[in-house]
Amino acid sequence: MGFGDLKTPAGLKVLNEFLTDKSYIEGYVPSQADIAVFDALSGAPSTDLCHALRWYNHIKSYQKEKGSLPGVKKPLGQYGPAGVEDTTSAAPAVADEDDDDIDLFGSDEEEDEETKKIKEERLAAYNAKKKLQIACVVEDDKVGTDQLEELITAFEDYVQSMDVAAFNKI
Amino acid sequence: MALRELSSLEKFLGLKKPNKYSTQGGKKVPVLQNNNGPALIGLVTIASHLIREAKRPELLGDSAEQRAVVQQWLEHRITRLDNCSKEEINIILKDLNRYLEDKVYLAGNVFTLADILMYYGIHHIVVELAIQEKERYLNVTRWFDHIQHYPGVRHHLPPVVVLRNRVYPSGHH
Repeated sequence: MGFGDLKTPAGLKVLNEFLTDKSYIEGYVPSQADIAVFDALSGAPSTDLCHALRWYNHIKSYQKEKGSLPGVKKPLGQYGPAGVEDTTSAAPAVADEDDDDIDLFGSDEEEDEETKKIKEERLAAYNAKKKLQIACVVEDDKVGTDQLEELITAFEDYVQSMDVAAFNKI
Repeated sequence: MALRELSSLEKFLGLKKPNKYSTQGGKKVPVLQNNNGPALIGLVTIASHLIREAKRPELLGDSAEQRAVVQQWLEHRITRLDNCSKEEINIILKDLNRYLEDKVYLAGNVFTLADILMYYGIHHIVVELAIQEKERYLNVTRWFDHIQHYPGVRHHLPPVVVLRNRVYPSGHH
Protein backbone atom coordinates (compact mmCIF):
# COMPACT_ATOMS: atom_id res chain seq x y z
CA MET A 1 0.00 0.00 0.00
CA GLY A 2 1.10 3.60 0.06
CA PHE A 3 0.52 6.64 -2.08
CA GLY A 4 3.68 6.76 -4.14
CA ASP A 5 5.77 9.82 -3.38
CA LEU A 6 3.53 12.22 -1.47
CA LYS A 7 5.91 15.07 -2.14
CA THR A 8 5.25 14.87 -5.88
CA PRO A 9 2.09 15.81 -7.82
CA ALA A 10 1.70 12.16 -8.88
CA GLY A 11 1.54 10.99 -5.27
CA LEU A 12 -0.92 13.74 -4.39
CA LYS A 13 -3.10 12.59 -7.28
CA VAL A 14 -3.19 9.07 -5.83
CA LEU A 15 -4.16 10.56 -2.47
CA ASN A 16 -6.90 12.64 -4.11
CA GLU A 17 -8.27 9.63 -5.94
CA PHE A 18 -8.20 7.59 -2.71
CA LEU A 19 -10.10 10.25 -0.77
CA THR A 20 -12.85 10.73 -3.37
CA ASP A 21 -15.24 8.47 -1.49
CA LYS A 22 -13.66 8.58 1.95
CA SER A 23 -13.63 11.20 4.65
CA TYR A 24 -10.56 9.78 6.38
CA ILE A 25 -7.52 7.68 5.53
CA GLU A 26 -8.71 4.84 7.73
CA GLY A 27 -12.22 4.17 8.98
CA TYR A 28 -14.81 6.79 9.75
CA VAL A 29 -13.13 8.89 12.43
CA PRO A 30 -9.93 10.94 12.38
CA SER A 31 -7.01 8.86 13.63
CA GLN A 32 -3.24 8.71 13.73
CA ALA A 33 -3.43 7.38 10.18
CA ASP A 34 -4.61 10.80 9.02
CA ILE A 35 -1.87 12.51 11.05
CA ALA A 36 0.79 10.25 9.55
CA VAL A 37 -0.25 11.13 6.01
CA PHE A 38 -0.84 14.80 6.88
CA ASP A 39 2.70 15.12 8.21
CA ALA A 40 4.10 13.58 5.05
CA LEU A 41 2.66 16.35 2.88
CA SER A 42 4.79 19.41 2.39
CA GLY A 43 1.79 21.73 2.20
CA ALA A 44 -1.86 22.10 1.23
CA PRO A 45 -2.81 20.32 -2.01
CA SER A 46 -3.79 22.57 -4.91
CA THR A 47 -7.45 23.44 -5.47
CA ASP A 48 -7.84 21.11 -8.44
CA LEU A 49 -7.27 18.14 -6.10
CA CYS A 50 -10.50 19.01 -4.33
CA HIS A 51 -10.83 15.84 -2.27
CA ALA A 52 -7.28 15.95 -0.96
CA LEU A 53 -7.76 19.64 -0.16
CA ARG A 54 -11.03 18.96 1.68
CA TRP A 55 -9.34 16.24 3.74
CA TYR A 56 -6.29 18.43 4.37
CA ASN A 57 -8.31 21.38 5.68
CA HIS A 58 -10.41 19.05 7.81
CA ILE A 59 -7.40 17.32 9.42
CA LYS A 60 -5.74 20.72 9.90
CA SER A 61 -8.68 21.67 12.14
CA TYR A 62 -7.70 18.80 14.45
CA GLN A 63 -4.19 20.13 14.98
CA LYS A 64 -4.72 20.73 18.69
CA GLU A 65 -5.92 17.16 19.31
CA LYS A 66 -3.18 15.57 17.21
CA GLY A 67 -1.82 13.49 20.04
CA SER A 68 -5.16 12.25 21.34
CA LEU A 69 -6.55 10.84 18.11
CA PRO A 70 -7.10 7.08 18.20
CA GLY A 71 -4.85 4.53 16.56
CA VAL A 72 -1.16 3.98 16.18
CA LYS A 73 1.02 5.82 13.71
CA LYS A 74 2.25 3.30 11.16
CA PRO A 75 4.74 3.81 8.36
CA LEU A 76 3.22 5.43 5.27
CA GLY A 77 3.34 2.21 3.30
CA GLN A 78 0.51 0.83 5.43
CA TYR A 79 -2.06 3.31 4.16
CA GLY A 80 -3.65 3.99 0.88
CA PRO A 81 -4.88 1.96 -2.08
CA ALA A 82 -3.55 -1.56 -2.49
CA GLY A 83 -1.07 -2.01 -5.29
CA VAL A 84 0.59 1.39 -4.90
CA GLU A 85 3.92 1.61 -3.13
CA ASP A 86 5.07 4.30 -0.81
CA THR A 87 8.13 6.06 -2.15
CA THR A 88 8.01 9.25 -0.09
CA SER A 89 11.56 9.94 1.04
CA ALA A 90 12.37 11.43 4.41
CA ALA A 91 14.43 14.64 4.52
CA PRO A 92 17.64 13.99 2.51
CA ALA A 93 20.58 12.80 4.59
CA VAL A 94 23.73 14.95 4.79
CA ALA A 95 25.86 14.36 1.66
CA ASP A 96 28.99 12.31 2.18
CA GLU A 97 32.11 14.17 1.15
CA ASP A 98 34.00 10.94 0.47
CA ASP A 99 34.06 10.89 -3.35
CA ASP A 100 36.44 7.94 -3.68
CA ASP A 101 34.06 5.49 -2.12
CA ILE A 102 31.08 6.07 -4.43
CA ASP A 103 29.73 2.80 -5.71
CA LEU A 104 27.81 3.92 -8.77
CA PHE A 105 25.48 0.91 -8.98
CA GLY A 106 25.49 -0.62 -5.53
CA SER A 107 23.06 1.44 -3.41
CA ASP A 108 20.38 1.86 -6.10
CA GLU A 109 20.12 -1.86 -6.70
CA GLU A 110 19.88 -2.57 -3.00
CA GLU A 111 16.88 -0.31 -2.66
CA ASP A 112 15.11 -2.00 -5.55
CA GLU A 113 15.76 -5.39 -4.02
CA GLU A 114 14.25 -4.28 -0.76
CA THR A 115 11.07 -3.00 -2.36
CA LYS A 116 10.91 -6.14 -4.48
CA LYS A 117 11.18 -8.27 -1.34
CA ILE A 118 8.44 -6.34 0.40
CA LYS A 119 6.24 -6.62 -2.68
CA GLU A 120 6.78 -10.37 -2.85
CA GLU A 121 6.14 -10.77 0.85
CA ARG A 122 2.86 -8.91 0.57
CA LEU A 123 1.76 -10.85 -2.52
CA ALA A 124 2.51 -14.13 -0.74
CA ALA A 125 0.54 -13.03 2.30
CA TYR A 126 -2.39 -12.02 0.10
CA ASN A 127 -2.35 -15.31 -1.81
CA ALA A 128 -2.01 -17.31 1.39
CA LYS A 129 -5.24 -15.87 2.80
CA LYS A 130 -8.12 -18.31 2.62
CA LYS A 131 -10.31 -17.53 -0.31
CA LEU A 132 -13.75 -18.94 -0.83
CA GLN A 133 -14.53 -19.79 -4.42
CA ILE A 134 -18.13 -20.17 -5.40
CA ALA A 135 -19.44 -21.42 -8.71
CA CYS A 136 -22.90 -20.25 -9.55
CA VAL A 137 -25.10 -20.08 -12.59
CA VAL A 138 -26.41 -16.59 -13.19
CA GLU A 139 -28.85 -15.50 -15.83
CA ASP A 140 -27.30 -12.22 -16.85
CA ASP A 141 -30.59 -10.84 -18.09
CA LYS A 142 -32.21 -11.30 -14.73
CA VAL A 143 -29.32 -10.56 -12.35
CA GLY A 144 -26.34 -8.39 -13.15
CA THR A 145 -22.91 -9.23 -11.76
CA ASP A 146 -22.56 -5.78 -10.22
CA GLN A 147 -25.76 -6.37 -8.28
CA LEU A 148 -24.29 -9.64 -7.00
CA GLU A 149 -21.10 -7.87 -6.03
CA GLU A 150 -23.07 -5.22 -4.15
CA LEU A 151 -25.05 -7.78 -2.20
CA ILE A 152 -22.03 -9.92 -1.33
CA THR A 153 -19.90 -7.02 -0.17
CA ALA A 154 -22.87 -5.84 1.91
CA PHE A 155 -21.83 -8.43 4.51
CA GLU A 156 -19.15 -6.05 5.60
CA ASP A 157 -18.34 -8.02 8.74
CA TYR A 158 -17.61 -11.22 6.87
CA VAL A 159 -16.50 -10.15 3.43
CA GLN A 160 -13.33 -8.15 2.86
CA SER A 161 -13.50 -8.07 -0.92
CA MET A 162 -14.83 -10.04 -3.82
CA ASP A 163 -13.54 -10.69 -7.29
CA VAL A 164 -14.93 -12.54 -10.26
CA ALA A 165 -12.43 -15.30 -11.08
CA ALA A 166 -13.88 -16.42 -14.38
CA PHE A 167 -16.87 -16.11 -16.66
CA ASN A 168 -17.97 -19.18 -18.56
CA LYS A 169 -20.60 -19.09 -21.26
CA ILE A 170 -23.11 -21.87 -21.11
CA MET B 1 -41.28 8.47 10.33
CA ALA B 2 -40.52 11.53 12.38
CA LEU B 3 -41.29 9.64 15.58
CA ARG B 4 -38.76 6.93 14.74
CA GLU B 5 -36.18 9.60 14.02
CA LEU B 6 -36.78 11.22 17.38
CA SER B 7 -36.48 7.92 19.23
CA SER B 8 -33.25 7.13 17.35
CA LEU B 9 -31.97 10.57 18.26
CA GLU B 10 -32.79 9.91 21.91
CA LYS B 11 -30.76 6.68 21.76
CA PHE B 12 -27.88 8.50 20.09
CA LEU B 13 -27.88 11.15 22.81
CA GLY B 14 -28.06 8.53 25.54
CA LEU B 15 -31.22 9.99 27.04
CA LYS B 16 -32.41 7.54 29.64
CA LYS B 17 -36.13 8.25 29.70
CA PRO B 18 -37.72 8.02 26.25
CA ASN B 19 -40.35 10.69 25.76
CA LYS B 20 -43.89 10.05 24.68
CA TYR B 21 -44.74 11.69 21.39
CA SER B 22 -47.98 12.21 19.56
CA THR B 23 -48.67 13.53 16.09
CA GLN B 24 -50.72 16.35 14.77
CA GLY B 25 -52.46 16.90 11.48
CA GLY B 26 -52.38 15.17 8.12
CA LYS B 27 -48.62 15.57 7.76
CA LYS B 28 -48.05 13.82 11.13
CA VAL B 29 -46.06 16.61 12.69
CA PRO B 30 -44.58 15.28 15.95
CA VAL B 31 -45.71 16.79 19.24
CA LEU B 32 -43.97 16.52 22.61
CA GLN B 33 -46.12 17.26 25.60
CA ASN B 34 -44.03 18.46 28.50
CA ASN B 35 -45.41 18.22 32.00
CA ASN B 36 -44.30 21.67 33.06
CA GLY B 37 -44.40 23.62 29.84
CA PRO B 38 -46.28 24.16 26.62
CA ALA B 39 -46.40 21.43 23.98
CA LEU B 40 -43.48 21.42 21.54
CA ILE B 41 -44.49 20.97 17.93
CA GLY B 42 -42.21 20.16 15.02
CA LEU B 43 -39.31 17.80 14.29
CA VAL B 44 -36.55 20.40 14.40
CA THR B 45 -37.96 22.07 17.51
CA ILE B 46 -38.18 18.82 19.45
CA ALA B 47 -34.78 17.62 18.20
CA SER B 48 -33.09 20.85 19.31
CA HIS B 49 -34.83 20.56 22.67
CA LEU B 50 -33.54 16.99 23.10
CA ILE B 51 -30.02 18.14 22.31
CA ARG B 52 -30.15 20.74 25.04
CA GLU B 53 -31.75 18.27 27.45
CA ALA B 54 -28.85 15.90 26.84
CA LYS B 55 -26.46 18.80 27.43
CA ARG B 56 -24.77 18.45 24.04
CA PRO B 57 -25.11 22.02 22.75
CA GLU B 58 -22.07 21.56 20.52
CA LEU B 59 -24.26 19.43 18.26
CA LEU B 60 -26.06 22.62 17.30
CA GLY B 61 -22.85 24.43 16.38
CA ASP B 62 -20.06 26.13 18.29
CA SER B 63 -19.79 29.58 16.77
CA ALA B 64 -22.59 31.90 15.69
CA GLU B 65 -21.72 31.15 12.06
CA GLN B 66 -21.78 27.41 12.63
CA ARG B 67 -25.09 27.61 14.46
CA ALA B 68 -26.54 29.51 11.51
CA VAL B 69 -25.31 26.87 9.07
CA VAL B 70 -26.81 24.11 11.20
CA GLN B 71 -30.15 25.93 11.29
CA GLN B 72 -29.95 26.44 7.54
CA TRP B 73 -29.71 22.70 6.90
CA LEU B 74 -32.36 21.86 9.47
CA GLU B 75 -34.68 24.28 7.69
CA HIS B 76 -33.63 22.78 4.34
CA ARG B 77 -34.63 19.34 5.58
CA ILE B 78 -38.14 20.44 6.50
CA THR B 79 -38.89 22.88 3.72
CA ARG B 80 -37.21 21.29 0.70
CA LEU B 81 -36.32 17.68 1.40
CA ASP B 82 -39.46 16.38 3.10
CA ASN B 83 -42.21 15.55 0.62
CA CYS B 84 -40.20 16.79 -2.35
CA SER B 85 -41.23 15.76 -5.87
CA LYS B 86 -39.18 13.47 -8.12
CA GLU B 87 -37.90 16.37 -10.22
CA GLU B 88 -36.69 18.20 -7.16
CA ILE B 89 -34.69 15.22 -5.93
CA ASN B 90 -32.05 15.69 -8.62
CA ILE B 91 -31.74 19.41 -7.91
CA ILE B 92 -31.41 18.78 -4.18
CA LEU B 93 -28.77 16.09 -4.73
CA LYS B 94 -26.85 18.30 -7.14
CA ASP B 95 -26.78 21.23 -4.73
CA LEU B 96 -25.81 19.01 -1.81
CA ASN B 97 -23.06 17.39 -3.89
CA ARG B 98 -21.55 20.76 -4.79
CA TYR B 99 -21.83 21.95 -1.19
CA LEU B 100 -20.06 18.89 0.20
CA GLU B 101 -17.16 19.06 -2.24
CA ASP B 102 -14.87 20.80 0.22
CA LYS B 103 -16.54 19.82 3.50
CA VAL B 104 -16.51 16.66 5.54
CA TYR B 105 -19.63 17.51 7.55
CA LEU B 106 -22.52 19.82 6.68
CA ALA B 107 -21.32 22.39 9.20
CA GLY B 108 -17.72 22.13 8.00
CA ASN B 109 -15.43 20.30 10.35
CA VAL B 110 -17.73 19.16 13.14
CA PHE B 111 -20.55 16.67 13.35
CA THR B 112 -23.87 18.33 14.20
CA LEU B 113 -27.61 17.72 14.36
CA ALA B 114 -27.78 18.95 10.75
CA ASP B 115 -25.86 15.83 9.64
CA ILE B 116 -28.14 13.54 11.67
CA LEU B 117 -31.44 14.94 10.45
CA MET B 118 -30.29 15.33 6.86
CA TYR B 119 -29.10 11.72 6.94
CA TYR B 120 -32.46 10.50 8.25
CA GLY B 121 -34.29 12.63 5.70
CA ILE B 122 -32.24 11.69 2.65
CA HIS B 123 -31.92 7.97 3.42
CA HIS B 124 -35.02 6.95 1.50
CA ILE B 125 -33.66 8.73 -1.57
CA VAL B 126 -30.13 7.33 -1.41
CA VAL B 127 -31.41 3.81 -0.87
CA GLU B 128 -33.04 3.97 -4.31
CA LEU B 129 -30.09 5.42 -6.22
CA ALA B 130 -28.40 3.28 -8.86
CA ILE B 131 -24.63 2.89 -8.87
CA GLN B 132 -24.13 5.45 -11.62
CA GLU B 133 -26.17 8.01 -9.72
CA LYS B 134 -24.26 7.30 -6.52
CA GLU B 135 -21.11 8.04 -8.50
CA ARG B 136 -22.52 11.17 -10.04
CA TYR B 137 -23.25 12.58 -6.60
CA LEU B 138 -19.95 11.31 -5.24
CA ASN B 139 -19.65 13.78 -2.37
CA VAL B 140 -23.18 13.03 -1.15
CA THR B 141 -22.36 9.30 -1.24
CA ARG B 142 -19.12 9.86 0.65
CA TRP B 143 -20.84 12.02 3.30
CA PHE B 144 -23.75 9.58 3.56
CA ASP B 145 -21.47 6.57 4.03
CA HIS B 146 -19.55 8.49 6.67
CA ILE B 147 -22.63 9.51 8.68
CA GLN B 148 -24.21 6.07 8.55
CA HIS B 149 -21.05 4.65 10.11
CA TYR B 150 -20.85 7.36 12.78
CA PRO B 151 -21.24 5.55 16.11
CA GLY B 152 -24.79 5.66 17.38
CA VAL B 153 -26.53 7.34 14.46
CA ARG B 154 -27.90 4.57 12.26
CA HIS B 155 -30.51 2.99 14.51
CA HIS B 156 -33.70 2.35 12.66
CA LEU B 157 -32.43 2.60 9.10
CA PRO B 158 -30.92 -0.23 7.02
CA PRO B 159 -27.34 0.43 5.88
CA VAL B 160 -26.83 1.45 2.27
CA VAL B 161 -24.00 -0.32 0.50
CA VAL B 162 -21.49 1.99 -1.08
CA LEU B 163 -19.27 0.10 -3.50
CA ARG B 164 -15.59 0.85 -3.04
CA ASN B 165 -14.37 -0.55 -6.36
CA ARG B 166 -15.71 1.82 -8.96
CA VAL B 167 -17.63 -0.06 -11.58
CA TYR B 168 -17.33 2.81 -14.02
CA PRO B 169 -14.26 5.05 -14.03
CA SER B 170 -15.38 8.48 -12.88
CA GLY B 171 -15.88 11.13 -15.53
CA HIS B 172 -17.03 8.70 -18.18
CA HIS B 173 -20.80 8.99 -18.48
